[in-house]
Amino acid sequence: MLETMRDRGKFWTPVPDWTTARIERDGLSVRRIAGLGQMLISGDLRGAVAGLAPGVSEIGLWSLAEADSYFVRSARDRGLLVTPAPQHVAPGWREGYVATPCDDAYAVLELAGSGLAEMVAEATSVDLEAGSRSAAVLFAGVTVFLYRTAPSTARLHVESPMASYLWKWLDER
Amino acid sequence: MQLFSCPFCGPRDETEFLFAAEAGKTRPEPAADVSAERWSEYLYLGGNPRGATREIWQHLTCGEFFAMERDTVTHVVSVSHSLRGEEA
Repeated sequence: MLETMRDRGKFWTPVPDWTTARIERDGLSVRRIAGLGQMLISGDLRGAVAGLAPGVSEIGLWSLAEADSYFVRSARDRGLLVTPAPQHVAPGWREGYVATPCDDAYAVLELAGSGLAEMVAEATSVDLEAGSRSAAVLFAGVTVFLYRTAPSTARLHVESPMASYLWKWLDER
Repeated sequence: MQLFSCPFCGPRDETEFLFAAEAGKTRPEPAADVSAERWSEYLYLGGNPRGATREIWQHLTCGEFFAMERDTVTHVVSVSHSLRGEEA
């Protein structure tokens, strides 16, 4: 068939079928976690957490999240509140902080297995054992929030449009 | 690879950082009284010192702007510190 227009779609990384997409190989498995609640918070973080999810722990880079809900610190005055399911909170200003529900804005990938540390070492150059108050880090060239939910299980939140790229990068290691 | 230190996040790879400006550059005001030459100097002319310098950098992953003192010859970073409560 005669191409009357150039198909630019071929330039983009194919989007995996996220319902079934899996990367399985020796020492590492990767899958996408769906259905989490995610809310960007900025401003008075302590007040925001106390108002929106009292008692949740704050975690930074490579920290271990030990509960279903937690606050991922990304900057001095910003972070991402993660809950097992989306919270129905109206976006906007409150007393001293802003809450922005963004349940679909970030894709959440879970990496697990004995090869986790090696994979993460290839994707980043940060000293994970030294830790960092901010979980935001360059991972394979894109900014993600990186932390763990178990000693050999990590989660990373990446902006949804970059998820296909990151998946391809992980798949080709 | 070189490590820079963000005042909030700690040591991170240099690729996470962006040079913003030489420290101490003050925008000439009021705009109506600023000559074209002075404005051009502000926009385009830098001190570009050889040796010790103080610069404003941004840590891209957390967004923080901060001051960094480093040597332009040896690339050794002596200190970086927050701009909170300070002038750039």
